[in-house]
Amino acid sequence: MALKISIGQYYAAASPVHALDARVKLWCVLATLVAIFCAANAAQLVLAVTFVAVLLALSRVPAGRVVASVRHLMAFLAVLSLFNLLFVRTGAVVAALGPVSVTSGGITAAVLYTARFALALVTGSLVMLTTTPTQLADAFDRMLSPLSRVGLPGHEIAMVFSLMMRFVPTLADETSAIIDAQALRGGAFDEGGPVRRVRSIVPVVVALLASGLRHADGLSRALDARCYEGGAGRTHLHEQHLSAREAAAAALTASFVVLLALLGLLF
Amino acid sequence: MTSAPVPIRLSHVSLVYEGGVVALDDVSLEVARGERICVLGANGSGKSTLASVICGLLAPDAGAVELVGERVCSDGRPDLEAYRRARRNLGLVFQNPDDQIVTSVVEDDVAFGPENLGLPREEIAARVARELHRVALDDYAAADPSRLSGGQKQRVAIAGALAMEPDVLVLDEPGSLLDVRGRSAILRVMGRLAKAGTTLVHVTHFMEEAVEADRVIVLDRGRIVLEGTPDEVFAHGTELLELGLEVPFAARLSQRLGLPWTCSEKDVVDAIAGVPFGDRTLLGHRPDVPKASCPQMGHLISVEHASFSYSGRAQALDDVSLEVAPGVSTAIIGQTGSGKSTLLRLLCGLEVPDSGRVVVAGNDTSTKRGRKAVRGVVGYVMQHPERQLFAETVEKDVAFGPRNLRLSADEVSRRVNRALELVGLAGKREASPFQLSGGQRRLCALAGILAMEPEVLILDEPTAGLDPRGRAMLRRVLGRLRERGITLVQVTHSMEDAARCDRVVALDQSRLVAVGTPREVFSPKNEERLTKGGLGIPRSLRVARELERRGWPALGEPLTTDELVAAISETLNDSKGDCPLLNHREVR
Repeated sequence: MALKISIGQYYAAASPVHALDARVKLWCVLATLVAIFCAANAAQLVLAVTFVAVLLALSRVPAGRVVASVRHLMAFLAVLSLFNLLFVRTGAVVAALGPVSVTSGGITAAVLYTARFALALVTGSLVMLTTTPTQLADAFDRMLSPLSRVGLPGHEIAMVFSLMMRFVPTLADETSAIIDAQALRGGAFDEGGPVRRVRSIVPVVVALLASGLRHADGLSRALDARCYEGGAGRTHLHEQHLSAREAAAAALTASFVVLLALLGLLF
Repeated sequence: MTSAPVPIRLSHVSLVYEGGVVALDDVSLEVARGERICVLGANGSGKSTLASVICGLLAPDAGAVELVGERVCSDGRPDLEAYRRARRNLGLVFQNPDDQIVTSVVEDDVAFGPENLGLPREEIAARVARELHRVALDDYAAADPSRLSGGQKQRVAIAGALAMEPDVLVLDEPGSLLDVRGRSAILRVMGRLAKAGTTLVHVTHFMEEAVEADRVIVLDRGRIVLEGTPDEVFAHGTELLELGLEVPFAARLSQRLGLPWTCSEKDVVDAIAGVPFGDRTLLGHRPDVPKASCPQMGHLISVEHASFSYSGRAQALDDVSLEVAPGVSTAIIGQTGSGKSTLLRLLCGLEVPDSGRVVVAGNDTSTKRGRKAVRGVVGYVMQHPERQLFAETVEKDVAFGPRNLRLSADEVSRRVNRALELVGLAGKREASPFQLSGGQRRLCALAGILAMEPEVLILDEPTAGLDPRGRAMLRRVLGRLRERGITLVQVTHSMEDAARCDRVVALDQSRLVAVGTPREVFSPKNEERLTKGGLGIPRSLRVARELERRGWPALGEPLTTDELVAAISETLNDSKGDCPLLNHREVR
């Protein structure tokens, strides 16, 4: 059993989306996501699809890469839309087979919700693919800096987030190795009754916890050795500046939101 | 940079961990600017603690410490502000590359230290470029560290430490989790740094790595027991063995042959080649070397034209066929990424070949039932198996497998006893596996697999990361298993370990390049291919080939030091015991 975790896998490329200041990128994406979830009619959906397609093209990330990163969640969405199709009972009955019937409301719900979620997923994964965890952490750091002013650990939260991103692949590899090892000692996840299955989690979780503690130990040594003392006095290799690019991004996002709102009023 | 005369000065330093474990006991040490020091010691000798004290991460309980001109600790009282200032001029690289990399982009990681020092942006960029160039990773600036090999990651860590321009760089077992190629790359970087005048403190348990140092310090139970130049220290061969260390190959060979003491392989070869002997052609008969017995009675494992690729990635195995007879021990050798570990995963039914088949004890792994049956026959000791330990006591951990088989309580305890007996941990059954030494932890994990009573034991680099004592313990246990007729298949980076097996399988870039007895695989016709593939041949064989190139008659295929010494003495037609070369010289 191999765990494939694709969150946080940065795809290096030279594109305006990659170069965008991460703070501006996050605010723009936030606005885009809200707008996408407000899309209710066909024209708005078409606009949203177009907009996301433009972003994808601008980012120079291969479409296959984006699809691969959201593949598992898409499967979940497919199931969700099937439920919508079969269980939403509003509107006229379009087709019926025995006790199962499909209504027009069901079709609308299935298409709308699936499209919204799919667009949101693609947009979200685009952020992860075009932004390095360091940039994300720095952006959070700046966005959370008001917290620091009132005495909350804004910078430290951002640092913890960045380290988490860094250790996800390492721990995922170790988890699958431990699962394999315990399975070969007869403690397989996918065998036996429910009690046995739950019990078989313990040897994996305990071993993983021990390994996590070992990593934490090593990491604290590394942070100390490299003079990490929190956010104060730190400089950044990648200084983030606001420039014409950021203004253009904000303008593009704003026009998308306005256009979407107009389409909502018109239709 | 400070202009302190002595970068590091420890006087009468002692450090005791919780529970009364004495890690350092009255250690006094001075390191001069530009000096390259190597600290040797077995696991638990206190060498890692010493590294932490030297780079300002641990304050001792007693004694005085002066680091880069800062008096950080006197009479066991630490001055935290002085420590902070000192740390800015001290760099550390340690064992596990994964724990030292804090970001997901190589360049950002190298920049992390300088960023913490609050340097201006342009300065950071210049240092990042310079240090990545120094460790030969210029092209990897934008790469994701988790996709790099262990050796490359460790070089990123070194670049990250150097980018802070430390007065002293401390390396705490930087190569112990790496393969041979990764380790030699690290050593090359260290050589360049030493030449550039960087003060280096290198902690290791690989004796070969100490040969280049200006000064070697040997620690045992927190005390400095030997100190001097490499030649001086390695002259204490027996003492080192008692301390759980070993002597470098060249030193061992020169000692066995009664030659002047040296740690350099080239000097040994020069010395042997320089010994005059009479009629070379007449004496030049091949010494009798016993042929490895290889029982041929059907195959326990057969791999037929197996190919495999992990989804979406390049071919990991390409048309590999091989057979393993029962009771035979097989070594799989190959570079990192050659497909060795994948082959093992196929053998235990964790993966199924895309084409071809794998049959173990008559069970084809392509069906679920077949895989289940294979799991009953095969025991798989993955890399760093101690990571799978989880129970409160050694006994409970070892019992995990047999319990899952739903055996009777008597049978479970019989198997646990037998497995613990086999690995020599019977006295530790009530201990927590997390309190054992590194070598013992690995043996405990091995016992957990042996308790399943497998016919075939599959091991992925069983000695990786262990100190000499741990390696010796593990080899003894494997020898015992072999005597009991258990079929062993192991991936190894050590050509010496491979030479001790009945059969050797060499993989290169997903393909099988050689298979046969060690003598066949390491034969002259394969030598070039193996060396080109970055694998090389056993050291004894390498010395024999070099002597032959210098005009010696054929020495056969000596795979171990014993065989080499025997071959050389026999060629010199002198069987007067331990010091054939010197005796020989005196006789003529």
